[in-house]
Amino acid sequence: MIALAIETATPACAVALEVDEATSEEVLDLERRHTEVLVPGVARLLKAAEVAAGAIERVVVDRGPGLYTGLRVGIATALGLALATGADLVEVTSLEVLAAAAARLGATGELVALVDGRRGEVFAQRYSLEALAALDAPRVVRPEVLAPELAERPALLCGDGARRYREALGAGEVLDLAVPSPAAALELARGRGAVEAVVPLYLREADAVANFSTRTRAT
Amino acid sequence: MERVLGIETSCDETAAAVVTSRLDVESSVVESSIDQHRDYGGVVPELAGRAHVATIRPVVERALVEADLDPRRPDITGIAVTAGPGLVGSLLVGLSFAKALALAWDLPYVGVNHLEGHLFAPLLEAPSLEWPLVTLLVSGGHSMIVHQRGPGEHEVLGETLDDAAGEAYDKVARWLGLGYPGGPVIDRLAREGSPEALALPRGMLGPGLDLSFSGLKTAVVRASEDHPDLALADVAAAFQATLAEQLLRKLRAALEASDARSVALAGGVAANSALREGVAALARERGIAAHLPALAMCTDNAAMIAAAGLHRLAHGGASALGLSARPAWDLREVA
Ligand SMILES: [Zn+2]
Repeated sequence: MIALAIETATPACAVALEVDEATSEEVLDLERRHTEVLVPGVARLLKAAEVAAGAIERVVVDRGPGLYTGLRVGIATALGLALATGADLVEVTSLEVLAAAAARLGATGELVALVDGRRGEVFAQRYSLEALAALDAPRVVRPEVLAPELAERPALLCGDGARRYREALGAGEVLDLAVPSPAAALELARGRGAVEAVVPLYLREADAVANFSTRTRAT
Repeated sequence: MERVLGIETSCDETAAAVVTSRLDVESSVVESSIDQHRDYGGVVPELAGRAHVATIRPVVERALVEADLDPRRPDITGIAVTAGPGLVGSLLVGLSFAKALALAWDLPYVGVNHLEGHLFAPLLEAPSLEWPLVTLLVSGGHSMIVHQRGPGEHEVLGETLDDAAGEAYDKVARWLGLGYPGGPVIDRLAREGSPEALALPRGMLGPGLDLSFSGLKTAVVRASEDHPDLALADVAAAFQATLAEQLLRKLRAALEASDARSVALAGGVAANSALREGVAALARERGIAAHLPALAMCTDNAAMIAAAGLHRLAHGGASALGLSARPAWDLREVA
């Protein structure tokens, strides 16, 4: 099996490639340069493994929640690879990948995965690490609102949202885990069925009225 | 024979097309998200970006199938994709998708300037047109007059100093309560009105061959405030006639100052009936050929991107996989 995982839900861009049970993973960039680094990074990883891109059988992609532009780059790339190679397209969410990565590190108990949502908000979801099961739905929330919940029901924290809002979140041990790991995504997606389309998990309405552009840029 | 897949996602249209080096358009698919933007009176970038993610794969797949190509192993020689100018969150969808195809199919690809794409649209209908060519490119995002000695050899003679022509249409339409987009509705309404019903000041179109529409837009607003009894159709007719007349005056000056043997219209505003008639008349008067592409080639499409890409790829212009989207890419920087 040749499988590729693409991770672009945070300012980091990372990929993992599995070739016959050997998995390599690489963080390509940390500075939001998804457009520039993703496809060259995939090309490099394939070359190192001596695998042709056309041989990819499975593409695992993070559909968010996270950085909108990053998600669009990652998903568009995954869709293009799937069309061109006929590979199965499999989706995961950034929050479940963070939980899976925490479990791989040996963490136990409850965990709240937090992805920086910008605008003073985080995308958050609580997991039981033993069962790797979600205990609530993913949501967008202000750290100050989450803090009392965490005080009442403690949990491990991880993700770039936990790192950024460590103070505001108050209680909770923060794991050293900011980037959802594409290698963990490959593992998590094993046995999961393929999808035809990938719908990004935005968790917010398009900010149509606030960002309202009166300019029509083309035609 | 070269055969290129073109992809366009710079604004609210997701488009894909297959074009050969003989400039045969073997397929051209355009999916617009315009209905989602109507209520906001303009294209909302975040909505446009989301729509591209949903439509890019089916649109590209359809373009390949309609060109009788196998989507897994299409018989093409390259890929062309709009890299700018445009909305960055929209551009990167097409760009990322195109890079993935180029990698998987092991084909060269090239990032194309959207405006250069518009300049290639007239060639798709008249591949053997006579050069030099002067093109009036008028759209919702851009308005310029361009001289071309041959394909890809362009010189910008003048461009708008403020709004694009299409923006002026949208703003006037919004002021008159006609909805969005403004071009088609004003064009339709203008046919029922009389341009003489309202005298708009002339000669506000900017210096030299540059263009300006803000003075005209303000004049329309003021005139309709001063004469609230005026029929909407008359206001629309007067605005459209004045705008077309001024554009044609600039185009005439550009033609007089050049050695052009052809003149063309491009961009979404080229759908405008007054402008089409005016350019045809101007060409007759000067004894040169007029090229007025079909509406589907004037508005954003991927066939024009594929045509520009064919030219760029043939002249060694393939792009690296690390290419960025260029939201403000100036036509003058295209070499
Ligand atoms: Zn355009």
